[in-house]
Parts: sequence; structure tokens; C-alpha cells
Amino acid sequence: MAVTEQSVRSPSSNRSRFARLFYDATIRAIFLQVLTATLVIGLFAWLIYNTMVNMQERNLSAGFGFLDVSAGFGISFTLIPYQEGDTYLRVFFVGILNTLLVAVVSIFLATVVGLIVGLARLSKNWIISRIARVYVELLRNTPLLLQIIAWFFGVFNLLPRPRDSVVLADSFVLNNRGFYMPAPIPEAGFGLVLAAFVVSVLGAVAIYRWEAARRDRTGQAFPAISTGIAIIILVPLIVHLAAGSPLSWDMPVLQGFNFVGGMSVPPSFCALVVALSAYTSCFIAEIVRSGIQSVSKGQLEAAGALNLPGNWTLRRVVLPQALRVIIPPLISQYLNVVKNSSLAIAIGFPDLVSVWMNTSLNQSGRAIPIVAMTMAFYCLVSLSVSLAMNRYNRSVQIKER
Amino acid sequence: MTMIFEPKADRPPPPSETGLVAWLRQNLFKDIPNTLMTILGMYLAFTVLSWVLDWALFNAVWDADTRRECLDAVGRSGACWPGVVEWLPNLIYGLYPKDAVWRINLGFLAFVLWMVPLWLPRVKSKVAIGLMAVILYPFLASYFFLGGEKGFVWTALIAAGVWGLVWVWATALCERATDLSVGAWLGRRIAGSSDEQIQKRVRQGAALLLYVICFGLVSAWSLEEVRTQFWGGLFLTLVISGIGITFSLPAGILLALGRRSHLPVISMLSTIFIELFRSVPLITILFMFNTMLPLFMPEGTDVNQLVRAIVAVCLFAAAYMAEVIRGGLQAIPKGQYEAAASLGLGYWQTTTQVVMPQALKIMIPTIVGNFIGLFKDTTLVSIIGLFDLMNMARAVGEDTDWLGLFIEPFFFVSLIYFVFCYAMSSYSIGLEAKLSKGRDR
Repeated sequence: MAVTEQSVRSPSSNRSRFARLFYDATIRAIFLQVLTATLVIGLFAWLIYNTMVNMQERNLSAGFGFLDVSAGFGISFTLIPYQEGDTYLRVFFVGILNTLLVAVVSIFLATVVGLIVGLARLSKNWIISRIARVYVELLRNTPLLLQIIAWFFGVFNLLPRPRDSVVLADSFVLNNRGFYMPAPIPEAGFGLVLAAFVVSVLGAVAIYRWEAARRDRTGQAFPAISTGIAIIILVPLIVHLAAGSPLSWDMPVLQGFNFVGGMSVPPSFCALVVALSAYTSCFIAEIVRSGIQSVSKGQLEAAGALNLPGNWTLRRVVLPQALRVIIPPLISQYLNVVKNSSLAIAIGFPDLVSVWMNTSLNQSGRAIPIVAMTMAFYCLVSLSVSLAMNRYNRSVQIKER
Repeated sequence: MTMIFEPKADRPPPPSETGLVAWLRQNLFKDIPNTLMTILGMYLAFTVLSWVLDWALFNAVWDADTRRECLDAVGRSGACWPGVVEWLPNLIYGLYPKDAVWRINLGFLAFVLWMVPLWLPRVKSKVAIGLMAVILYPFLASYFFLGGEKGFVWTALIAAGVWGLVWVWATALCERATDLSVGAWLGRRIAGSSDEQIQKRVRQGAALLLYVICFGLVSAWSLEEVRTQFWGGLFLTLVISGIGITFSLPAGILLALGRRSHLPVISMLSTIFIELFRSVPLITILFMFNTMLPLFMPEGTDVNQLVRAIVAVCLFAAAYMAEVIRGGLQAIPKGQYEAAASLGLGYWQTTTQVVMPQALKIMIPTIVGNFIGLFKDTTLVSIIGLFDLMNMARAVGEDTDWLGLFIEPFFFVSLIYFVFCYAMSSYSIGLEAKLSKGRDR
């Protein structure tokens, strides 16, 4: 009976020394890790060796020396002054600033639209919630790149020529060359207005802090938020008027075949921002909806039992609890906007990927430093945001004893 | 005389509180602001809908040879569908040779056939069928799509694919008819004895015989090679996303386990990989692989552009999937691990039989959400020059006959993407409801 014989043997006595080593947890752990490390290091060594051989073959260099070299190509839209002869390093910063501009504008618009759509989805009005749902499902289930390209080729490229452009309030102009708006020109004394603005913001924050402390101590309420908003708007306005309105506007004017003056963004920027914010707003809407729905009904009933006024229920009961659920996925959507802005390359907007990882890479051929710098930028943004995020998260999480 | 209280029947609620009227009053015309919102919403819905329908159907041109004819007929107020119709084969199959398109159809038909038993009632070996589809179907499909010379190993793998398909249907039919697995049935019927040993021999013999037949068939069968440069359209999109989905789930599971591992080296390596790939946009990874993979490989290796794209998509998707799975793993209470440990289960047994099934189950909606994201993200391969569905749609407007025809193909292609994504998300909602029945009982 072979079976019984085998089961009678005790595992420790008859196993060879090798088997005992094999079954020892510590030894196995060390062995596994050494094996993995060797494999990974080996893989990297192989890749680096291949790369070095290939680079020698093609006469490429991996250094960062090219950053001081003149780039020699133009960029259609820049936030900082840039000319064709400027260095590659400057191209890098132009790209970063363009990426950040797209991201900031889109994040702002997406948050506003997303909030409205999210609340509309919760509306008790059947048709409003239906419309919001259709909006979300339609935009969420089609690829972002397709939307960007469709907005660009289907809408912003088909706009009328500058001659027949759409003009809003004599100052906002939309045509197939882009979107024009008045540019503010600060004059002497405008620094005073800015200073007043900074001071009033600080004051408003101080009032809010004082109010929170007093509410905790005495339980008495004070309309700190509305007071703060009033201060932030009124004080700089009064200073502005008192200083004799030291700000003039540079209006876009039709001159020949095109508009000049003012600030302008190209059609590719408009298409990118519209598509990005519409697409992201769907996800934000869903996040807002699930966040508000996550507040249990008992909380609302408890607030009702305490006879809290309606806006207090919202501000002091629902929002603090909903925000706890909303903020983490919201931040990750914001990070997605930064990452998705790289799709600008498909419609030729000069963002970091387009101007740096594509044009500069093809011009200079320094694949390795360029790829590394691009990735480092995105990693830096992600890591710093998630660090800030984790700190915030720790402060709003339920403190359990 | 005893009085017995007999309650009268309730009066029916007033007509304003039941049926359609009440519903309308509750949901559409509760008070004045609500009514205003309803009117605004209806106006908005009506405007958009009538505009889209007018453009896409009522004012549309269905018969024309060039875009000029469309513009002459209706201008921009109606869609110009003939361009899309003419490009339809390209939108779906890319530049795949016309006389070989049946191979794509047959390849996808094989997939559907493979999957049908999963939905048939009374079929028990669904896990095995699903695993077979993941492991063996790719060999079959790749030969259908790619064709060309096949060496001995390649023939053997393709034969395994054919074998798998036959096995799946034999199992499904047998289990439906007799409630026995095909092996057990064969053992009973042919061997006719209850001896386990003989039954096992018969089963193995039958499987081997079937494989030999498949091998013979496959070696006799040859298809002409279609190089990947000609792949495109919906076909290419499905190939890339299919490979990405099939790769990302197991790779994500391994990475997530690695990140939670107690072994510092493994957990550190997994974490670095996941964080690096998650913090950069997919397009930079695609670019990196497109420009750097030829540098990484030994001199003279020629890496196909499609392969570069697929490698990038797979690694990217795996990093995202890993974080999803990790979320599922974190939601499993510690008691489950302790219970498994007290039963004497080791690491792999605990993982595969206790923890992972639960983690995957609670994460189904997120996993499918990731699949949808991956499917949409495959459009990015167009930026490195592959002609996927979206890039094909863009190419329509660059055809000389249909110059500038962008909106119509984009509309059509968006519809395709929408149908796929919406179907996936609806299916995941259904699956979630079905699986949570046991929990909510």
C-alpha cells in the first residue's frame, strides 16, 4: 500500500536538507527577493547595454548639453516671450506653462459644470435629472480624443472668418483664428489696488478664523462668509475708484484680415478646453452625486429634528460629510485633466508633450533626456498633488477614538 | 345581539394622487419653480433632439458621389452619409485585403462561439471555459488575423486553440444533455466500467486523439500572411483593447499582490512600477515606447509598430488595474486572512481561494470601468500613426472625394464607441446585481 506508507512518514525526518531549506519561510523569502532583484537588474543591464550600443551606432548622445542650444523652431502660442532662436530649455518651460494653463482653465470650468450637472442629476424634477443623465452617459462613453478632434474639426475650425466673426458685447470675439478678449493694462497706482486685494483676502480669512473660534467657544453664529466676500469685493473696488481707476483695457480690433490687440487663444486651445472640461465634468458630476447620496438620510432627519434652518443643514451637516467622500476622487480627476491635456498634440496645440516630446525630440534627437524630463514633470505634479491630498485627507477623515 | 365591527372598504385615493396624474404632479409640476424647470428642460431637449434628428435623418443626403454634391443639395444643414457608407469597410476592417476579410469575421465568430456557453444555463464548467478562452483563443485568433508561415511550435499552439474550441462545445453540449462533464460521460459510455483508472485513461486518450486530429488539420491549413500595416479600423481597436484587457487583469493582480507583499524588494519594485506608470499620461508612454523600444532592443531587431503600441497599452493598463485590485484587497477584513491561516492555508491558497474571489467580486464595477477606460484610450494609438477606428474616421475627411467630411464619420464612430462602452457598463451593473444576491439575502 504505497499510499499509507507515504502518509505515515513524518515530514521532517525524511526530507532532504535541500527540501528543508526550500520549505523554510525566511530562506524562501530571501531567495525569492534575490531572484527578483537579479532578474530586474539583469533586465535593466541588458536594456542599458543595448541602448548604449544602439546609441553609439547612431551617434546619439544622452547628455543634457543640448538644453543651451538654440531650438530654431517657432511656437504658435506662448505665455512667456519666446523667439525662434531661444534655447531648448525655454521651449521646455513654454510647454509646461501651456500645459498648466490648459489644465487650470479646464479644471475650473469642469468643476463648475460638473457641480451643476451633479446637482441636476439629483433634482426631483424628472426631466432635468433625465437630461443630466443623458449628458453624462453620452460624454462619458465616448473617447476623449475623439471629442477633442470633433470639437476642433467640427466646430472651431468651421467658425466664420475674422470678417464675419461672432462678437459679444463688443469685446469678446470668436472666429476661426481663435478667441479674443480684452487684455487689462495696469497703470500707475494699480499696485495699490492689488495690495488692497491681498490685505482684504487676509482680513477675510482672519475673520473666518475668529468666527470659527468664537462659535466653538460660545455657540454664537456670525455671518463670516458673506462678510468676507463683501470685504474682498468692496475694499479693492473702493481703493480702485479712489485711485482714479488705474486700469485700462486693450480691446481686440479688426485690422485688415485679422483681429489685433487684446488677449487671444488659438482655436486648438478652445477645442481642447471645451472638450476636456465637458468630458471631465461628467466624472465630476458622478462624484458629486455619489458624495451627496452617501450622506445617510438619518443625518438629514436629525438636522430636521434639531430644527436647523435649510442652509445650515446643507452647510454644516451635508457638505462636510459629502466633501469627505468627494474630495479624493475629485483630486484624482484633476490629475487626470493634467494628464489628459497631453492630447493637445492631436490638434496641434503646443503643450509640453507636443512641443517637447514631439517637436524638440525630432529636432534634437536626444530621446532619453527629453523623455526623462517630460516624465519627471508629470511625476512631480502627481506626487506633489497626492502628497498635499494625503495631508488634507488625514485632516478631514473621521477622528475615531 | 352582538355587534361585530365590520370595517368599510377604504375609499380609493383621489384621482390626483394615483397613476399618471400623480406622477406628473410629483415629478414635473410640483410647484412653480419646478414647472419652470420642466418647461425649460423640455424646450432644451426638444431643440437638441429636433436639431440632431433633422441633421442626421430628415435633411440628410443618402445618395451622392462626392461631398460637393451633398453640399449643393442641402449645404451644412443635413448630414452627408454616402461618404461614411463608402468608407464603411475601411472603418471596420482597415486596409485588410478585401478577399481576406472573412478571416476577421471568422476569428470574431470563433470568439462569440467560445463565449456562448458561458451564458447557457446548466453548463457547469464556466470557469474552465473562460480560462480556456483567455489562454487558448489568442493563438487561434492570431493565426486567423495574421496568417503566414508557421513553424512546429506555432502549429502546436494553434492546434491547441482549435482543440479548445471543440472541447468547449463538447463540454457545453454534454453538460446540457446529461449533467455530466464530457470526460465523465466519455468514461461512462465508452469504458463502461466504474474503475477510475480506466475512465481516466479513456478521457486522456480522447483528449489526445482530438488534439492529434486538430494538429493534422492545422498543419494542412494555410493562410496567406496579412502584415499588421494593413490592420485598422474597428478591428484594430478591438485587437488592441482585447489584448490590453486580457493582459491587464492577471498582471494587475500580480502587481497588486506584489505591492502588498511583506517582502520589501518585491513590494518596492511593484510600487515604483505602479506609481511611475500611473503618474504619466498614456501618450508619453506610447511615445517613449515608439522612440525608445528600438533603442532598447539588441541591434538589428525590428519591433513592429503595433507591438510597440500594444506593449505600452498593456503596461499602462496593468498599473491602473493593480490599484483597483489593491483597493479590493484592502476592503477584505483581516478576519478572512486569520480564518484562512487558522485552517492551515498557505499564502497562495489563501490568496486564490479566500481573498482574491471576494476582492474581485466587490471590484467588478471598477474593473469594468477600467476596461471601458482602456477601450476608449486605445484611440491614442492614432497619435503614433496607427489607423484605429478614430484615425480611420479622420481619414475620411482627407479623401479627395469627401474632403472636409469630418462631422459625419465622427458621429458614426462615436456611436460605435458609445454602444460598446454602454453595453459594457450595463453588463457590469447586471453582473454586480447578480453576484451581490448572495450577500444581500
